[in-house]
Amino acid sequence: MPLCLMENIRKTFHTGAIDVEVLKNINLRLERSEFVAIMGTSGSGKTTLMNIIGCLDTPTSGRYVLADKEVSHLSDDELSVIRNEHIGFVFQNFYLLPYATVLENVLLPTLYVDKQKDNREKQAVDLLHLVGLKERIRFKPNQLSGGEQQRVAIARALVNDPTLLLADEPTGQLDSNTAEEIMNLLREMNTRGKTVLVITHDQNVAAYAQRTVKIKDGTIIE
Amino acid sequence: MDRLLKIIFQSLKAVRAFKLRTLFCLLSVALGIASISVIVAATEGAYKKALEIVAMFGPDALLVFGGGEEARATGQRMKTITLDDIETARQAFFSAYVVVPMTAMREVTVSHRDKKYQTLIVGSTSDYSRAWTWPVVQGSDFTEEDVKGLRNVGLIGQFLSRELFGDIDPVGKYVLVRRIPVQIVGVLSERGTTPAGDRLDDRMIIPITTLMRKLQNETTYVSGLRIRFYDQKNLDFHAEEVRAFLRGRHRIPEGEPDDFTIISPKEIIKFLVALTGSLVVFLGVTGVISLVIAGFVLANLFLLSVRERTREIGIRRAAGARKRDILFQFLGEAVVITTLGGIFGLALALLSSKLLMYIAQFPIYFSWKAFAVGMILSWAVGIGFGLQPANRAANLKPIEAIRG
Repeated sequence: MPLCLMENIRKTFHTGAIDVEVLKNINLRLERSEFVAIMGTSGSGKTTLMNIIGCLDTPTSGRYVLADKEVSHLSDDELSVIRNEHIGFVFQNFYLLPYATVLENVLLPTLYVDKQKDNREKQAVDLLHLVGLKERIRFKPNQLSGGEQQRVAIARALVNDPTLLLADEPTGQLDSNTAEEIMNLLREMNTRGKTVLVITHDQNVAAYAQRTVKIKDGTIIE
Repeated sequence: MDRLLKIIFQSLKAVRAFKLRTLFCLLSVALGIASISVIVAATEGAYKKALEIVAMFGPDALLVFGGGEEARATGQRMKTITLDDIETARQAFFSAYVVVPMTAMREVTVSHRDKKYQTLIVGSTSDYSRAWTWPVVQGSDFTEEDVKGLRNVGLIGQFLSRELFGDIDPVGKYVLVRRIPVQIVGVLSERGTTPAGDRLDDRMIIPITTLMRKLQNETTYVSGLRIRFYDQKNLDFHAEEVRAFLRGRHRIPEGEPDDFTIISPKEIIKFLVALTGSLVVFLGVTGVISLVIAGFVLANLFLLSVRERTREIGIRRAAGARKRDILFQFLGEAVVITTLGGIFGLALALLSSKLLMYIAQFPIYFSWKAFAVGMILSWAVGIGFGLQPANRAANLKPIEAIRG
């Protein structure tokens, strides 16, 4: 079984009187340990697709199997558990908690785990070493550069050892040198066995992936 | 459980992070809690004070004054009780162990050398100290011979003693009561002030015979009598006996009102409760209003906070927080803040009650009850007014929240 399997996924938003079909009949497979880029312009439906893949939203119709589990019609609580166990999010604007330290930010997903393992903090520290921020553990996000903040976000995404690392325009707020570093870091995570899915409109970012899926007007065109 | 603890820990962090919100909520809750716990403490204090005064008065004692209810209401005291009434009562009531006459004069000038003071002169038999459970701490009570012999001896209250003698021991010294020299034989223990503000220690006790003959030119009538019974449980019954006895002696026909008034400990409690009641009602109303206002301040600041922290909620939801995790976090923040507010409010209450006791001589007594009421109310405000904002936070849709 592939890690992600999407069959005939549709998503319709009701805005006032008009129904807008954002996703039309999406079929997508994602194998384990793949590095895939989803490319599309803004308004193409790639963000909605990412939300559904990341279990932040549910499809209007269609089937979505993630890690051998049908997730298309799960309840809000069940989706929370799936996100917690299987998905690590990296966002364009980093989205760190401003009042928490680097380490506390990385530990955030571990708060919502029911079966607690002991060495969470050690694991978080190890991850911060891995992303090259061992000196910044007690810093607040506003004391870090954009690239460093994104590294914290990547460490946070990985702390629960998710099956899928989901990055939405991870380099959108970064200069080209820093963007390169971040993409190399994502590639390194992929070579360590993590499945990585990057959503982007940037050809240079997509170039890091093994495979690119292009989306336009709510359908996959390539 | 472990999860809940971690979530509450997140609440603590947020309480620390959003200092201004914490400060405003804390202060408003503190004010409400302070006034309410002062009320609880004041009510308790009044009750305790009432019991103390009853203990002083004697829980087994009745006080009978001349003049009926009407005369009392207008502040007049008629002299209807005679020494004869009292002597007969003494012989008639086997159930009583003290039956003493009382008569008093207000604002009598007492002087010692160049010092003058207007005080209350109380006439009594040698049983004064026992009748009022008011110990003599220096010197001794006057004796039956002193009473029979109309001797010029007296007991002095500590306040009056300080006014006239300063720190000097007054026992054996002479004072002039109007023009009559009186030797001080004993000093009464200190009693302080009544809730109405009367200084109990501003008084002198002299033999009733001396007072009547030499100051009042009176042989028959006294202001009242005091009677103490062995079994205080049947005090109500004894009061009725005394009433019937006096009505009989005064030949009051049935249907006519009494020409005397009986005061029992119960009535004293009633009077004290009425006295403190008005203040309690006033504080109670302001306390409840300020607590409700505190609740609204909290609810509004939290709604604002939820709006401001929409993205945080989105981030947490993306990281796997369930609705109830978010609910508990925000509710936790509210409860932590109101708990702090409660603690602060109780401290404020302690402080302000000290001040209140100092300026108003108002009895306030803090026990665990005031603290318990304060804490429970602050939690109630936290949960009651924090619930709606917390619910709103929990019900934000993850994809909308994360967009901010």
